[in-house]
Amino acid sequence: MNEPREFQFRQTPPARPIRFDGDACIGCNRCLEACMIDVFLPGEKGKHPVAAYPDECWYCGCCVMECPTGAIHLQHPLMNQTRWVEKASLLKKREA
Amino acid sequence: MSDMKWPYPARVDQTCRMDADVLVLGGGIAGCMAAISAARRGAKVVLVDKGAARRSGAGGSGCDHWESAATNPCSGVTPEELVQAMLDDNDGYNNGISHYIECREGWDHLQEIEKMGGKIRDTEDEFKGAAFRDEKTKLMFAYDYQNKFTIRIWGTTFKPTMEKECRRLGVQIVDRVMITSLLTEGGGTGGRCVGAAGFHCRTGEFYVFSCRAAVMAMSRPARVWLFSSAHPGLCEFRPLSTIGDGHAMGWRAGAEFNMMEKSVRAEFSSAGRSFPPYSAGNNHNTWYPATLIDAGGREIPYADRDGNILKDVAQRFVPAQGQSYFLKGGNIERAKYAYDGPETLPYEKLKELGYKLPFYADLSSMPELERKVIWGMMVGQEGKTNVPVYKNFTEAGFDPEKHVLQCYGVGWTSAEFLPQERQLFGLPGGFMNDWDLMTNLPGLFVAGDALFSSNCFGHAASTGAYAGRKAATYAAKEPENRPLHQPQIDAERRRVYAPLAASPETGVSWKELNEAVAKAMQNYCGEQKRDELLLSGVELLERYEKEIVPQAYASNPHELMRLLEVFDILTVAQLILQSCLARRQSCEKLEFFRTDGDGNAPAPFICIRREGDRVLTREVPLDYAGDIRENYEKHNQDYIAEKAKEAQA
Repeated sequence: MNEPREFQFRQTPPARPIRFDGDACIGCNRCLEACMIDVFLPGEKGKHPVAAYPDECWYCGCCVMECPTGAIHLQHPLMNQTRWVEKASLLKKREA
Repeated sequence: MSDMKWPYPARVDQTCRMDADVLVLGGGIAGCMAAISAARRGAKVVLVDKGAARRSGAGGSGCDHWESAATNPCSGVTPEELVQAMLDDNDGYNNGISHYIECREGWDHLQEIEKMGGKIRDTEDEFKGAAFRDEKTKLMFAYDYQNKFTIRIWGTTFKPTMEKECRRLGVQIVDRVMITSLLTEGGGTGGRCVGAAGFHCRTGEFYVFSCRAAVMAMSRPARVWLFSSAHPGLCEFRPLSTIGDGHAMGWRAGAEFNMMEKSVRAEFSSAGRSFPPYSAGNNHNTWYPATLIDAGGREIPYADRDGNILKDVAQRFVPAQGQSYFLKGGNIERAKYAYDGPETLPYEKLKELGYKLPFYADLSSMPELERKVIWGMMVGQEGKTNVPVYKNFTEAGFDPEKHVLQCYGVGWTSAEFLPQERQLFGLPGGFMNDWDLMTNLPGLFVAGDALFSSNCFGHAASTGAYAGRKAATYAAKEPENRPLHQPQIDAERRRVYAPLAASPETGVSWKELNEAVAKAMQNYCGEQKRDELLLSGVELLERYEKEIVPQAYASNPHELMRLLEVFDILTVAQLILQSCLARRQSCEKLEFFRTDGDGNAPAPFICIRREGDRVLTREVPLDYAGDIRENYEKHNQDYIAEKAKEAQA
């Protein structure tokens, strides 16, 4: 492992709801204009916006729905990711 | 991030002035429908939204069903029956006027939305042959398949089409402007509404609007008891930005409110106890009537209101023996016996019978079209489900034919909250209205969640359209825009911009203040009320207003918007405390319980407003709407004639 030579200060976000695929993004800012909360700020010209206020996201998904190139992934915080199982596994457990 | 330069120009020294016949405040479902309806009647309309009208509001990302469409061609109930049931179910503590508008006109407005481009029918025959589909109209129904008054809709298509229709009709849409204050004739409380003031949430530019009539179409309050500084966006069911700005500015302007003493034990807060709505296994609303199984895969029985076990899935959609219709799927609002729908057995009973947690929603054993309509249409079209639930789960491999989705907790809310964790949900309080949906402030109309006892999408759309046409009629009778009171505008400008001059080094952030208000309300306005507690709350919040508000800071217009929202939350909290003080007796249907009360005898509405610095209350009989049908027809001859003409054509 390469130990870092320098440390950085950065704030600790409670979650990262919005992730951009920089290659797919065409920098059209439709996500920024659709967001009713205004969590984004414009990024560099032609690049994806910055999710400046991620904690204010209410996870409606409109940014993803408006994105013409599928460049955004929206994800609930880990604590809110619900669980599913194969029904067959429950039945097997009962039989066992 | 902390060093990033603000990317928008700073325009706090500039003022944009706009004139309208009808000014619509809030661009959600109600606001857009109000703007459309006023514009169609020839009014010059300006619609202002804090976000962007294309997707803003609680219904911006979608909606899966439209309730109470009692006049649709397949309906088995009349609007009169349905509104009577809603009133009776709440012992009269409900808005008979707004819900009659919803029941009587909802279907008209749904068809208008269809004409704009919203999808309301299964035109591709994807669900051909399903028990919930009417083959002739291709409408699809939810809950009670015999009476067919709840229509399944493709609500993700609605908001963009409404916004487009607004533009087509020449409505001037002003996005990203937060309205902070109503402007009244002469500048005093209780005067005629002649405009509104606000600022741009990116540039800080000041906005002054003048109008002949205004429609208040903002949300119900939120984050009054619940707050998380880590996940403020997840504190409540509705969006972060819909926190009751309208209630706050209405209270400051002297508008009258009803039922503001009502709050319910929290049902949704995925910042904390519960899970994002519809993302966990359950069997209500969007998921009605999913089959539930226990940890061992045993199917959990459904029963009718008499406790008779239902034999198959088809029986979950029909009224019980001797019942004409039921109100909702699953006993979500604890309906009375007369209106109670099928429901799984209560948890205590299931425990006795040996059913083991955790439970799961199991669509795999349901008939194919029932499975497909829950997973793919309802979960998919309902707000907040399209992307983070339907798309993400599907991409992660969730297969409803094979997998079962875990339920959390033992009820439909996915968590049990504490008694002091409260929300304005389940027909909460709001602006008091007359038969024109006008408030006590002449020229100020009200729609959607701003109304007392509001609820769903159909209610918002119908009352929006109604308020818009009444406002247009009112505006047409006003010969000109009345003058604005400049000292009122100047005072508002000073109030709005003050936090930009406060210091982030020594001041208080919007999050710190919101958290303090929420904690105060949990302490002093929890489930059990008594005067000493309520008065302590009043005292504390007054202190916050005097001492903390002047220290609150905002570094840019976005933070300023968030902070002014919290100032509004603080105002609403005071309105709630005053309303609680005004009701002396416990009242079950208002979920209002006093430990120092004098009983729980039936009591009227208690309406409340400000006049100068005084708080005034008055009692209003629960049946103030009078004969619902007769009064509706008396006030809407023009609309009835218009519809008759359309039908003839």
